[in-house]
Amino acid sequence: MRDEVYIVGDQVISPLGMSSESNFRALQSGHTAIAAVMDAHLCNHTIHAARIDETPWNHLVKDASHYTRLERLFILVLQRLIDAHNIPMDKETLVILSTTKGNIGLLGDPRSTFPRDRTNLTAMAEVIRRYFGFENPFIPISNACISGSLAISVARRLLRYDSRYKRAIVVGGDELSKFIVSGFDAFQALADGPCRPFDRDRKGLNLGEAFAAVYLSTTPVRGAVKLMGIGSFNDANHISGPSRTGEGLYLSIREAMREAGDITPDFISAHGTATLYNDEMEAIAFQRCSLSAVPLHSLKGYFGHTLGACGLLETVMAIHSLKNNELIPSLGFAHQGTSHALNIITQPTKRPLNTFLKTASGFGGCNIATIIKKM
Amino acid sequence: MEKQNYTIRSYCSIRDRSIRVNGNNFFDADPSAPLGDFLKSAYRKLGVDYPKFHKMDGLCKAIFIAAELITRESGPYEQHMALLFANRSSSYLSDNRHANDVFMPGNPVASPSTFVYTLPNIAMGEISIRHQLQSENVFFIFDSYLPEFLVPYANATLDSQRFERSALCGWTEVTEETCDLLLYRIGASGYLPHSIAQLERLYNKEDE
Amino acid sequence: MSELTQELKAKIIAQLNLEDLTVADLDDHTPLFGDGLGLDSIDALELIVMLDKSYGIKLSDPKEGRKVFETIQTMADFIEANRT
Repeated sequence: MRDEVYIVGDQVISPLGMSSESNFRALQSGHTAIAAVMDAHLCNHTIHAARIDETPWNHLVKDASHYTRLERLFILVLQRLIDAHNIPMDKETLVILSTTKGNIGLLGDPRSTFPRDRTNLTAMAEVIRRYFGFENPFIPISNACISGSLAISVARRLLRYDSRYKRAIVVGGDELSKFIVSGFDAFQALADGPCRPFDRDRKGLNLGEAFAAVYLSTTPVRGAVKLMGIGSFNDANHISGPSRTGEGLYLSIREAMREAGDITPDFISAHGTATLYNDEMEAIAFQRCSLSAVPLHSLKGYFGHTLGACGLLETVMAIHSLKNNELIPSLGFAHQGTSHALNIITQPTKRPLNTFLKTASGFGGCNIATIIKKM
Repeated sequence: MEKQNYTIRSYCSIRDRSIRVNGNNFFDADPSAPLGDFLKSAYRKLGVDYPKFHKMDGLCKAIFIAAELITRESGPYEQHMALLFANRSSSYLSDNRHANDVFMPGNPVASPSTFVYTLPNIAMGEISIRHQLQSENVFFIFDSYLPEFLVPYANATLDSQRFERSALCGWTEVTEETCDLLLYRIGASGYLPHSIAQLERLYNKEDE
Repeated sequence: MSELTQELKAKIIAQLNLEDLTVADLDDHTPLFGDGLGLDSIDALELIVMLDKSYGIKLSDPKEGRKVFETIQTMADFIEANRT
């Protein structure tokens, strides 16, 4: 078994930019992708959300009209990652694809021109695989909002235990649709303005779109970061509400820290969706792990909740924090809003950074914690 | 890869309208019975008192029943028993219902209790609550049951566990037309080898 | 009034999938949440949807919801006062 797995490359497409670098620069400048959106195809009232305008980039996809919008965005982010690192598409390369709902926007939509079968995740994955000519079938994972981080852990396990594979691409994305927006609306989970993670006056989440990918290898290169520890445990409490004691997340963080050698991370990129319950649960879990003093942010104030992409997107941004030795503020925070105080980052701060903890939680009671270290 | 010595402790298959545990018949319904009726009757035969069952969608109900039968056969589940499921259609039953609600001409109204089931991993949440499992969950989407992937992945998962080595794995494809489920519990002390060949035999009903 | 409470009981049983209960089992004054019927947060959201869909009442303040959904009787009273 090979122990070490590294992230040696990354790529992001979001409303803030078409590369990881442009996205990180936007965070450094305090730009948010969240805006008021009034679109009857999405929702019958205005919502605050972050949507990608992909029209300037469609020409980069061959035969663009053959692909759904979601597929084109997956193709774009993969193309840019593959090109930047000359990634072989042979049988030693795995591709794990994270999404909560894939092409679900096609289901029931009278405007759709694609066959209904495209809502099937393997059909969607296969279309993308064939575009590039990857030898191995993609491995789709659909596990609610932890999918992105979970896909990294699945890739790591496969690279460690299966000597057939030398490298893996982990890519994730989700697209906004009436299907998704209406569901969160029915849950009264949407804030009526920009979201405010961990803030006293937070009223819910904003939805967002992003497509993010990381390139994993068992061979480190200059600038690589290492996956030091991962833990994932279900709350066993409720299918949509998080555990009031943060049980599953607490176990996940503890396991990740144990595996990483009990190091205290230099900062935390929390899930921080800005719902009343999620942020409170996370604060409890961090406090139980004695991490309340660690500088912490949620990036959902910049990107919104990007569902199947969030674990990947936010991990990539945290990696760039490490590389730039810069803490990114938690946008939308003004007053302590959790029963346990946290050390919320409120100013861009330059300081040496070596490790971070990334957390994610999702419907179904799932949780995951990942510790990453700069090499 | 290390040599794996894990075994299957117990398994349950739900095929069309027939439920079997460790190869023995548990329940059969008329092949023309609607999915909902079939699962409700099976639940009644189980004799558990779990009112939340009726709120679940078809995918969750089928998985709930199979998980219940397996633990009856093989003892209480370990708290950290990993859940590794896969299917082709994700949460199609609920996806369809939610889409119908939301695209209905006239008065489209989304139902939170339908929407919550539009994620395949909710089924893992349901059985985690029922059996108090605090463990890792992964839901894969494949075209068909793929022991070539699930067996080595499950082995790697058990190899990486620090305490009990155990997982509940399987193929859970449930739509209005299809009920194709094979769930199996693996660990160190079962009676069938946890191998691709063995699982193909079970999946192809060669144990009957 | 009792027609509305009967109607509500039937609707609640159907909407919340309370399979093992009949209208006769539901008392007008049993607490719906907590120790009474034991409904949960998703049930509360479903009741909000039901108020909107069946009676045209939009309820967006969760605190208001807690009072309204205390019992079948409080729901019926609220609907009588606010239905469109």
